Amino acid sequence: MSAQSLKKTTATWIIVIMTLFITAIIFGILMRLNQGNDYKMSSPGFYATMTTHGLTMIAIWSVAGMVAINYLLTRYIKVPNSLSVFALVFTVIGAAMLWYATFVGQFHAGWTFLYPLPLVKIAWAKWATPLFFFSLVVLGVGWLVWSVGLLVQILKKYSLKQAFAWQHLSKKEPEVKTPPLILISTVSLIGIILSLIVAVILLALTFAEYYSGGAFVNDSLLMKNLIYFFGHTIANESLYLGLAALYELMPEVSSRPKFKTTWYVALAWNCTMVFILTAFFHHLYMDFVQPLGLQMVGQLASYFASLPAAGVTAFSVFVLVFRNHIKWSLTNVLFFIGIMGWLIGGVGALIDATISNNVALHNTLWVPAHFHTYNAMGNVLFCLAFFYWVANEFSGSQTKTKAQQLKTALLLIGGFGFVLMFYLAGADSVPRRFSNYPAEFKSAPLMATLGAVFATIYLIAILLIFIEILRKCVKAFSAS
Amino acid sequence: MNDHQFILIIFLAAFIIITAVFFLTYRSSLRPEEKSDGIKKPLQKRFYFLIALTIVLVILLSVTIPKSPYFKYSDQTPAKVVFVDAMQYYFFMSEQAIDPAKPSGADSIIIPVGQPVEFRVTSLDVNHGFGIYNSDAQLVTQTQAMPGYVNRLRWKFDTPGTYHILCLEYCGANHPNMRTSFIVK
Repeated sequence: MSAQSLKKTTATWIIVIMTLFITAIIFGILMRLNQGNDYKMSSPGFYATMTTHGLTMIAIWSVAGMVAINYLLTRYIKVPNSLSVFALVFTVIGAAMLWYATFVGQFHAGWTFLYPLPLVKIAWAKWATPLFFFSLVVLGVGWLVWSVGLLVQILKKYSLKQAFAWQHLSKKEPEVKTPPLILISTVSLIGIILSLIVAVILLALTFAEYYSGGAFVNDSLLMKNLIYFFGHTIANESLYLGLAALYELMPEVSSRPKFKTTWYVALAWNCTMVFILTAFFHHLYMDFVQPLGLQMVGQLASYFASLPAAGVTAFSVFVLVFRNHIKWSLTNVLFFIGIMGWLIGGVGALIDATISNNVALHNTLWVPAHFHTYNAMGNVLFCLAFFYWVANEFSGSQTKTKAQQLKTALLLIGGFGFVLMFYLAGADSVPRRFSNYPAEFKSAPLMATLGAVFATIYLIAILLIFIEILRKCVKAFSAS
Repeated sequence: MNDHQFILIIFLAAFIIITAVFFLTYRSSLRPEEKSDGIKKPLQKRFYFLIALTIVLVILLSVTIPKSPYFKYSDQTPAKVVFVDAMQYYFFMSEQAIDPAKPSGADSIIIPVGQPVEFRVTSLDVNHGFGIYNSDAQLVTQTQAMPGYVNRLRWKFDTPGTYHILCLEYCGANHPNMRTSFIVK
């Protein structure tokens, strides 16, 4: 692949992702304003917006990590540009179909489209249901082809054992060294491929029921397990792709020695793959008919997933920075804050993944609190760090420090203020996914309004960063 | 202090500690290059950190797992069984089994105070949530209402009063208005 086509495709991806991101943030702000009684949306309009907001965010931050590793993997392996272009076309078409189904057809079953809600007693245009599911097919095909393609390219150079870095478990200096980027990309891509395969099964079962005219009915518990395996796994693996970019770039931009794959890094990421594929059971704690053993697996896997995360990745970043002279740029600042947000969101998630707490927190605003923390203040920042770094690569220029400090301050105040309003309301038992709050939740509208204010501050930071990235990305199209 | 306040305090404490550690780590990186000495014996410290974290997690697991709702009052005979059938956007509650073909519920449900009660919760259409709130709008306990399955939720109400049931699983545009109540006395 030519370096120029890689740059152009990457720059296009960044512009598409950031445009959709800014629009989806505005949807989120409007929803919080509606909950705060500051703005009026119809109930179906609120839920159509909620469905669009959720799925758009999941979609763009899944592919953002893919864009990052697609670019960085070219340092180690050959990556055909056609894979990324194919996924880009399918993502744009899929997103357009999704938005048409939600905004024109008023499809509003939520981004998790929990079976059987999309199929029974529908309260939206009849055609919007198949259009929504076909939009998922289009998105899924694009990502599956890209993920499988990248994994195949990795396995052309490294054996499966080497890609998993198993040789590092037995030898301190093995003949073939696996770079952390290869290891983390392999683990994450396998997770993504598995989640997409489950999505194929899920969609096949859904279509079978939809087109059978009532002759075939699915099992609710099985469908719920499949939905959360897909949703939980793809959301978490996307975050790991962001971490792959951090392993590759953070030492480099901080002028510190590169992260190396050691036995404990290899062990941590292999364990992560197992834990993350079984942690999704924590979404079904309140379904008491789920076998008890699976409920226990859910809590065990959720707890022990934190060991490699905190003990290896976060600790490595701590070792890299602590008492070492670091030349800070927006790239490593974003990586650094992203690790902090990831850990804080992780604590919120761990609390919720404790079965005895889940009774008090399940489907309250604690849930969006923790996933917004490790997305908006974790994964998004990892990917933005990559976007900013690569935009500098395109243009060859850096931003002045004062402008960086302003952006960082707005991100911190806006981001953490926004999620804190969710945490406070969640701990006060306020339900999630309520377009308007019943009178007994006295503080909920105020929390929603303040959440919207903080989210607007976060949006300003994102806009400032995007403007700078956009200015630099444009040069990718003009450079020869 | 109730469970919700305890959870919030634990979280806020973790939030402050993590933020402080990151701030101090950042501050330590602003030193001049010649004074950079990094962290001593990082592998050893990482090992101790992992051991400490593992011990904390194992203690938390052993303390919290027995408190899971599946084991609550499982060794006691419920003083009352309440059947709950949810459907968009109603809860039918009855002390008799509900006919799914002609669902109907009792006008009011009275629960005895201080005695275990079992709710047998199912759904006649889509997934719903069965969240029980006290008169202070605090979530007491909950389970899911899933079509084709019956979730059995056991609880003992120690405080008399009116309790509200809210749907806690998104079930359609009128989801926030799906609610009912019962009395504990």
